[in-house]
Amino acid sequence: MTTKPATKSLVFPRFFPRPNSKTGIWSWIATVDHKKIGTLYGITSFFWFIVAGLEALLIRIQLSQANNDFLSPDMYNSLFTMHGTTMIFLVVMPLSAAFFNWLIPLQIGARDVAFPRLNALSYWIFLFGSILINFSWITGEAPNGGWFGYAPNSGVTFNPGKGMTYWVVGLNVLGISSIAAGLNFVTTIINMRAPGMSMFKMPIFTWMTLVTSILIILALPILAVAGIQLQTDRIYGTHFFNSLGGGDPVMWQHIFWLFGHPEVYILILPAMGIVSEVLPTFARKPIFGYSFVVFAGAVIGFMGWFVWSHHMFTVGLGPAANSAFSISTMLIAVPTGIKIFNWLGTLWGGSIRFNTAMLFSLGFIAMFTIGGLSGVMHASPPTDAQQQDTYFVVAHFHYVLFGGALLGIFSGIYFWWPKFTGYFLNEKIGKLNFIFMLIGFNIQFGPMHWLGMDGMPRRIYTYAENMGWEGSNLAATIGGFILGVGVLLFIYNVIYSMIHKEVAGADPWDGRTLEWSTSSPPPEHDFDEIPQVKFRDDFWFKKYPETIKEYYEHGEIEEDTEDKLSEKSNHEDEIHLPDMSYYPFILGVGIAILGAGFLSNIYIIAISVPIMIWGLLGWSMEPVNDPHPDGH
Amino acid sequence: MSETAVINNHQDEIENTSTGLSNKKLMMWLFLASDVMFFGAFISTYLIYRGKSLVGPYPSEVLDIPITTVSTFILLMSSLAMVLALHYLKENEKNKATLWILGVVLLGTIFMGFQFYEFNHFAHLGLTPRTNIFGTTFFILTGLHGGHVTIGILWMAFLAYGSHKGTLRSDNAIDLEIAGLYWHFVDIVWIIIFTVIYLISANDMPPAGSELLIH
Amino acid sequence: MKKLLKKLFYHDGNGWWNLPKNMSGKPNPPYEGPIGGPWLIKMINLMTYGGKSHAGPRFYIIVGIFLAIITALEVWAFELESELAILYIPILLILALIKFVAVVAFYMHLRFDNRFFSYVFASGMIVGTVVFSLLLFISEAAYMTR
Ligand code: HEM
Ligand SMILES: [Cu+2]
Repeated sequence: MTTKPATKSLVFPRFFPRPNSKTGIWSWIATVDHKKIGTLYGITSFFWFIVAGLEALLIRIQLSQANNDFLSPDMYNSLFTMHGTTMIFLVVMPLSAAFFNWLIPLQIGARDVAFPRLNALSYWIFLFGSILINFSWITGEAPNGGWFGYAPNSGVTFNPGKGMTYWVVGLNVLGISSIAAGLNFVTTIINMRAPGMSMFKMPIFTWMTLVTSILIILALPILAVAGIQLQTDRIYGTHFFNSLGGGDPVMWQHIFWLFGHPEVYILILPAMGIVSEVLPTFARKPIFGYSFVVFAGAVIGFMGWFVWSHHMFTVGLGPAANSAFSISTMLIAVPTGIKIFNWLGTLWGGSIRFNTAMLFSLGFIAMFTIGGLSGVMHASPPTDAQQQDTYFVVAHFHYVLFGGALLGIFSGIYFWWPKFTGYFLNEKIGKLNFIFMLIGFNIQFGPMHWLGMDGMPRRIYTYAENMGWEGSNLAATIGGFILGVGVLLFIYNVIYSMIHKEVAGADPWDGRTLEWSTSSPPPEHDFDEIPQVKFRDDFWFKKYPETIKEYYEHGEIEEDTEDKLSEKSNHEDEIHLPDMSYYPFILGVGIAILGAGFLSNIYIIAISVPIMIWGLLGWSMEPVNDPHPDGH
Repeated sequence: MSETAVINNHQDEIENTSTGLSNKKLMMWLFLASDVMFFGAFISTYLIYRGKSLVGPYPSEVLDIPITTVSTFILLMSSLAMVLALHYLKENEKNKATLWILGVVLLGTIFMGFQFYEFNHFAHLGLTPRTNIFGTTFFILTGLHGGHVTIGILWMAFLAYGSHKGTLRSDNAIDLEIAGLYWHFVDIVWIIIFTVIYLISANDMPPAGSELLIH
Repeated sequence: MKKLLKKLFYHDGNGWWNLPKNMSGKPNPPYEGPIGGPWLIKMINLMTYGGKSHAGPRFYIIVGIFLAIITALEVWAFELESELAILYIPILLILALIKFVAVVAFYMHLRFDNRFFSYVFASGMIVGTVVFSLLLFISEAAYMTR
């Protein structure tokens, strides 16, 4: 390394020394380690999963009988709003982010993400944003306009309380966190790959993370715009969605769904990536049609932009717009179908092991296919005119979101838990967990299909007696509780695993990708030596070189001609890990206070400004690494 | 504290990436792509609501093209100052670099002065974000653009200080370069705003029949 | 054909999706056609620093003057709005586009930088432009049929 003459640097006055604690609360607050941040994401979002699940059970109790008065109408509105908002923004997205954090550096053979401090900042903003939005329960004014926040119902005229203000401010804060994480992961995946790992040697999960992150980068700003517009409407009396002032409530639907449809792919693509890792491992076969899976993911990410008006078929956009969006919506089912066939092809002829992780993945395929099919049904405007705003749509999106995204994520948890903690989750409890979840889920959401066909509208707090809806609703409620038992079994499994400590080695499942090549749990620096990658599923071929011939016909391997990268890491003898830092936390606190300021008054905003400046200046003047004591 | 480690960090950053591109620069470009969607949504909101105000003042009654032309020109010149600053920083001409960065700060501040004057003036003419849909879309869009400029000004001032102190040098010029990318992006957003809001709609009259609605 | 397919789908080939390797420091690809005689090609290369790896202050100032002139043209078009009639908006959009491209290509160095950055920004621009044009289009259509 070249040495340059030392020059002075800007030094920001430090109020405390550089953190270096390895244990205790400060080691978490000041951490920049992607694994610790991943754990934080996982724990926090699982907590919100429990909260949102309880909200769902309350909703189900209310709906179990006709004319029930277990919940007041206002309470019901708040509950279904917060259930949706929490599940989407505080559970599925950050649970996926937990996997991104844990796995991306391990899968691409890096020691950390591209911007470790920015990564920590994303987490802190997410944590504070989630608290901010749920704080509304304590003030007694929880948001009540639905997770879609339709105008004008979400405007001050019809919704004078503070609830929806909490909602927009909270979502805007969370949006900053997601965009920062998205930028970080795209940069990481493009720029931090191990030597030899070209784009088309990356694991599928990494690919899906890349597509998801690009979608996050491009879609979340639109949510921010919708949020800012609604916020100024609510707080400063502008007219974006106020027809008395010349605005148009339909504009909200456009902007929201312009974000909203890419968002549903943000939710599902990581789960698709997880499943594409689990299936090959337990079928002991490489994924069938790697390039097709990758391209289908990328195509979904692109086409997802041109279908948003299928949420607006009954708004009256006119026949031309409706037909166009109907066609594009049907088309987007094609790459989705391609993926399903690839997964089936992966299973075909494999020597399958039915571990819990595998069962969850199989459940994913089945349930997601059902949800996809009902999606194609309401891709047709005349059909959708019958289904819009009924429980049929509720059934659709729960089949794709719970049966899809969450089953996929649970599959990932069972699959990677040994890697994260070093111990197995119990298989017996796991299988029970799966069975309860799958059965409970189907009893809960299956009947909603015919409830919707029978015309039961969604978003209502109760229904009349003689509609013939009672039986199905009662079944759904019972299913909900069975599902709840499934979740309890999972928690029990986690505790069981922590007590019994059944040790898993570095590679318990005979894995294929790089994360299995390091110890479980991985050391702080991930890899003792940065791996050199030659093949896709490189770790597998290192273990079983005799299978190379089988997968690469005639045993001929196209070597990377531009392999100059591999030389580079050879002379890298030192492990440089980024040092810990308090500033992401400080900046996160500043942004949280700023959000609270928008909810209360200008003085709080004034308090947040110096904190943010402190965080920013301290951050930018603090070197990523302090010089090492040995003068390196 | 020795500076050596810091310098090496910067070099490592570029040399050890898979693509040979700087992480920071890549992230800045990604961020700009993201900001495209942000401003894109606001500009389309403006366009969709164009000519839908129910009460005055209408664009033709408030917009003042000569003044805005001057402020547009100033923002363009600040971009010129920005590239010159980067050029001199890379050439190791510290004083020139510092001066040009300060030039960016100055021109940006003048631009913000114009915006402040304009907002004030409009308020005197009776146009606020609450008056009509033109006011709503106009103020929020240009205001958010102004917010971007303000952040840029603060960032540049910080960098000017660093360049003056000698901590921003040719070997970490990437820090100025990404700030510059941000600055130029804010400039091109203004290019579009100037065309779409000012030039195209400056002669927008009250919509036909709107008087009937009021009376 | 087989070669093309292989290039497109065979995972170990170096297909078009492979990110470009480091180009920074290497000279800009000079302009070679398809239109223009030797004089024009020389001019364009001079203007865009083809064959050189970076530009200098003189060039930046020329671009600055060029931007100022186009701004003046825009305001001139504004004065002539009623004469230009239906051409007014297209003319303004084209002028704005020229300014946009000039700043992005020269001030933001995309002309001189690794092509990958252009891809990143262009993909954002393309998604944005298409999606928002579509939005404008259907909003206008829905408004007119209302
Ligand atoms: C096969 C592909 C899919 C098609 C064709 C499709 C189609 C549709 C359509 C047409 C609607 C509007 C129904 C209405 O409101 O009347 C809808 C709603 C919805 N879809 Fe899908 N969808 C698909 C996949 C997905 C996936 C993968 C997810 C999420 C992971 C998802 C999540 C949702 C959600 C959350 C809603 C309801 C939004 C609301 O009104 O609150 N969909 N889908
Ligand atoms: Cu959709």
